Amino acid sequence: MFHIKLALRYLRGRKLRTTLTLIAIVFGVMIIVGFNAILPAISQAIQGNLSAMADEVDLTVSSETRGPFAMAVADQVRQVPGVAAVSPQLVRPMALPASQALVNKDGTAVTLLIVRGVDPATVTEVEQISLADGRLLTAADQNAILIANSLAQNTGLGVGDRLTLPAATGVMDFEIVGITSGRPLQGSEEVFIPLATAQTVFNFPGQINTIEARFAANSNADTVRAAVLAALGSGYKVGGTTTGSEFAAAMEAANYIYNMFGVIAIALGGFIIFITFRTVVVERRRDIGMLRAIGASRKTILGLILAEALILGVIGTAVGILLGYLMATGLLTGMQSLLEEFMRTSVGSPTLEPWVFGLAIGLGVGITLLAGLFPALAAMRVSPLEALRPSLAEVERRRAGRGAMVGAILIVVAFLTLLPGTVGLAALGILLLIVGLALVLPALIYPLARIFGRLLSIIFAREGQIAQGNLTRQPGRAAITASAITIGLSLLVAMGSLILSMQGGMMEWVNTTLGSDYLFMPPSLVLGGGNIGANEQMAADIAALPGVEQVTSLRLATSQIDGTDLQVIGIDPVTYPQIAGLIFSKGDEKTVYAALGNGRAIIVNGIFAAQNGVTVGDTLTLQTPNGAQTYQVVAVGGDFLNFKLATGYISQANLAQDFNETTDMLVMVDRAANADAAQVAAGLQQIAAGYPAFTFYSLAEWQTQMERTLAAFNGMYVLLIILAIPSLIALINTLAINVLERTREIGTLRAVGATRRQVRRMITAESLLLAATGTLFGLLTGLWLSYIMVGAMSMVGLILPFSFSYAGILLAIAVGLGFGILGALIPARQAAKLDIVRALAYE
Amino acid sequence: MSIVKTEQLTKVYGQGATAVTALNRINMTIQPGEFVAVMGPSGCGKSTLLHLVGGLDQPTSGQVLLDDRSLSGLKDDDLTTLRRRQIGFVFQFFNLIPVLTAVENTALPLILDGMKQADAHNQAEVWLTRMGLGDRLSHRPDELSGGQQQRVAIARALVAEPTLLLADEPTGNLDSRAADEIAALLRQISHEWHRTVLMVTHDPRIAAHANRIVFLKDGTIVDDTRLSDDGQYEERVVREKMAVMA
Amino acid sequence: MSVRNAILGLLAHRPRHGYELHDAFEAMVGGEQNWDIKPAQVYSTLNRLEQSGLVVEDGVAQDGGPEKRIYMVTDAGLAELRQWFNEPSLSDRRRDEFFLKLMLSLVVADGDPRRLIYTQRAGLYRELHALTAQRSQVNPASQLAYILLLDQAIMHLEADLRWLEMVEARLDEISRQPIPEPAERPRGRPPMDGNR
Repeated sequence: MFHIKLALRYLRGRKLRTTLTLIAIVFGVMIIVGFNAILPAISQAIQGNLSAMADEVDLTVSSETRGPFAMAVADQVRQVPGVAAVSPQLVRPMALPASQALVNKDGTAVTLLIVRGVDPATVTEVEQISLADGRLLTAADQNAILIANSLAQNTGLGVGDRLTLPAATGVMDFEIVGITSGRPLQGSEEVFIPLATAQTVFNFPGQINTIEARFAANSNADTVRAAVLAALGSGYKVGGTTTGSEFAAAMEAANYIYNMFGVIAIALGGFIIFITFRTVVVERRRDIGMLRAIGASRKTILGLILAEALILGVIGTAVGILLGYLMATGLLTGMQSLLEEFMRTSVGSPTLEPWVFGLAIGLGVGITLLAGLFPALAAMRVSPLEALRPSLAEVERRRAGRGAMVGAILIVVAFLTLLPGTVGLAALGILLLIVGLALVLPALIYPLARIFGRLLSIIFAREGQIAQGNLTRQPGRAAITASAITIGLSLLVAMGSLILSMQGGMMEWVNTTLGSDYLFMPPSLVLGGGNIGANEQMAADIAALPGVEQVTSLRLATSQIDGTDLQVIGIDPVTYPQIAGLIFSKGDEKTVYAALGNGRAIIVNGIFAAQNGVTVGDTLTLQTPNGAQTYQVVAVGGDFLNFKLATGYISQANLAQDFNETTDMLVMVDRAANADAAQVAAGLQQIAAGYPAFTFYSLAEWQTQMERTLAAFNGMYVLLIILAIPSLIALINTLAINVLERTREIGTLRAVGATRRQVRRMITAESLLLAATGTLFGLLTGLWLSYIMVGAMSMVGLILPFSFSYAGILLAIAVGLGFGILGALIPARQAAKLDIVRALAYE
Repeated sequence: MSIVKTEQLTKVYGQGATAVTALNRINMTIQPGEFVAVMGPSGCGKSTLLHLVGGLDQPTSGQVLLDDRSLSGLKDDDLTTLRRRQIGFVFQFFNLIPVLTAVENTALPLILDGMKQADAHNQAEVWLTRMGLGDRLSHRPDELSGGQQQRVAIARALVAEPTLLLADEPTGNLDSRAADEIAALLRQISHEWHRTVLMVTHDPRIAAHANRIVFLKDGTIVDDTRLSDDGQYEERVVREKMAVMA
Repeated sequence: MSVRNAILGLLAHRPRHGYELHDAFEAMVGGEQNWDIKPAQVYSTLNRLEQSGLVVEDGVAQDGGPEKRIYMVTDAGLAELRQWFNEPSLSDRRRDEFFLKLMLSLVVADGDPRRLIYTQRAGLYRELHALTAQRSQVNPASQLAYILLLDQAIMHLEADLRWLEMVEARLDEISRQPIPEPAERPRGRPPMDGNR
């Protein structure tokens, strides 16, 4: 009770400092909570796409690759003892293009359907489909459809109404024959069509991807389940197919990076708290000594300081959680349009899962306590004799030698963390590097201050010399300030470099891999996300159009290698390189396409290569609907749309042969040199009208669209600012504390004849010296950090050339020194304004 | 029975060639109710003596006995408890917690000893009123004059009813008028409230309020003077002096 | 001289008889513990003043007891008083008994100058203790005059103590120096006379 009261009084006594310290914690917690509250909302939206069948039937079986397989597999399941009934199905998400979207009465659109192609004869044997209206599907039905009553109510559709859906053949017309009373799914709706029709719609003739089964009444479920899997052999799993899992994986990777930012921000906050509490202990040395003298035990003193840290941590975390939730709400609102476009799904409100609370509280309160612990331990060791000393004892008792040694070791270890190439370990390395630098800096301050001091003396002749002296006398204090700049600047350098790399690199990716004159884009840019492709007819029609020089397409299948998902894209080795191209990190562009057409060859993308340690010349065994097939890796490279996902590129011939896949998902068209653009475009648009699942773009339109999409990366600059603010605070805080600690010294300078201007210049010079030192290390750390972050990006699939422009380095130096001056403004004014008499009397 | 007793008390700072003997085999006994001033030139070891008696520092050899109990071998926690209950400290710079009021500052030793806040505050108010600060109870230190701050500090030193009051240059940071008042207050504490006071000072005028002065030089006691045994003595001395001046 | 002039001053304030003068004097200096004078001393002084023409009898007070002669100051008395006011009051502190003790203790065989200093210091502190005790009993609101008087005594004591401190600090130095001897006078006296 007393601890808390005294701590609160002290905190209230220094409102500005308390606020600045709080902000540091608030930012970190806000970032962690904010981004983690977004993720569940997005995954919930994605989960909404999942087929809901799983828990309503005794057993659901699908292929490991999520791909289609022969209907005969269903018969195998039926043979297993204990299985009473089996129903083959083809279940696919269907993204509805804007032109085909079902409009709800409230004006929103249903953009994604879960289409279940079921065998009317067997489906009722395995599951209960309850009807609200109309009838069930019959064996005679072709273009009949059952929709859920939620969809019916929202859109006003009823039995007898007609519904047009996109199909691989263009469009297909359905008659609503029944309304099911199934439970509603978030963001998407479940519809039933006859299996044979579904096979046409999705261009999987004779294939299914899901088998539902009902067990005999007296059988043991676990035994039968095991028996089914055993009968089917490898390549099959219990459970339905899922959609959107690729996007979820990408989101998780991105979230990982945001969490890393959050942890770094909190670490920075912890650093600020450390500085603050260190000062607090110095300032209160005599108070602490007195308390010890009049009978406070060491534990009491430890408790007093920790109570203060605890209060800061709790308040900061609480405010951070609140602001984080608000930030998540804001970001989700901002992301809504983007998500609808990419995912054909809508998201709800941010969700705070218990573990996020745990993480936020653990990090927010934990780091604050930890940062307060070391100063608190120092406070605990304050002798009661301090109360009796006539003046404040010199606090500088740094074991620079030992600290520097430990710091150097930490830095070496930090570099070693880069070797295994794991993002998590590298992130840990950053923390080690920061701590290491903070420890090494005191030993380096003297030589560095001399070097920079010489430069500075050109501008600040006399004050510079005094400033240099000040710094070298207090290497520990100077080091802390310098490391505040180092940390702040390194984050800025890293982030800035990352954003530049991304914006520069991405557009290049877009132009190379999707740079055809015309594009037929699927509704969802994530290829797996429920797109309805087109059968070969569309590409043939396009090729026949006068003025079209070349057509190529991307086809899609899913596979697995040793249990790891792999998205397989089929390209035409001849036409594809003529129109677009992959970006290669390994392999010769001139020969790989030819190699692709030769036997079973595969190009894998960066994320897959990195995750699985695969390189050119390796052989991969791909699970296919037709058994395991061995492919040889001929190159490492990828395209823009699939950088986030583990992807392999094979010839379309192989895709058809091994994966039964001939549907075009994306079509690129080049115009003949002498053709009339308007005429060609008009012809293409006409074809596009027949396939509403595709959106037609000219190159110019496409680029505009992409620039708009890439502008989303501008959001990263917000992150940059979010991170820059606390580091500026840290800098001002340390400089202000610096002035505070030296009040008497400054008073003496003023008394012996230094003008206000000279004091101001001295503090500014000091600040510049520190800033220069901090900037140097900030650059080094920042480049390191951006290297890791670019590395992290490549691990989520976006291979960017790691580069940093000289202009950027100059900019960083300018920012670092600018921070130095900016950070010095307030303290310098404060120092210059000091009343001499009061400063001299200052204890 | 003595309240403070030092036996061959020795304190050496540093080691080898740079060793400085601050106290050299000090034997001193203080009886209950005495008001003892320790004087001597700076560096004579007077502060060190106070620190050792207060258990703030450990002697190199010899020992301190408080109420016939040796401080040697006491653990930090035991020393802390002892300071809390048996010793009151008054410092040169008052050392009040700036963010606490007079009552809260005064109540600190009681609160540290686990007393309930309300009780501690009641007791603190009693002592502050005795110190003439009944109308300053909820003032912060920066709203009080130096003399008032030192009165708060003295109230804090006495609130736990210690048997021994240790004062280190209690008037060193006060103007002469406030210094006189504080010195007179210490004399009152000793004479009227029968507390034992051990005070370090370099100011003769302040030391003269004590009824015994121990003179230290180079770490040893060179003189130990009783200034008054009873009231009669004081008056006689004054009378003689006045006659001389006439 | 001081008592004589003080009586002159008290009569210049207003005419009084002898016993009144005694009481007024004591009241002014804060009681007999500060400055004790006997009534006889007052009467003899009055007589001398009357003989010198500085005071004259101004009648007799008769209030039941023995008759009391009331005195008043004359113009000559006022002039004398003014003369007194115009002179600074200097005390000759060079004629110091302790100094003699100290010097001689340096040369006498069993003299212990340090003990001497400590004894003197103890004495001074006892005085100081008594004076500070007395001072703390005085009410500053109505008895400022006594406080000033006591402060003067206290401050002199403080000065004495400070001087003693200095002497103690330089004791080794002074004991190494020979005690001052009379200057040699080669003419006028035989050498044997100088050998005391």
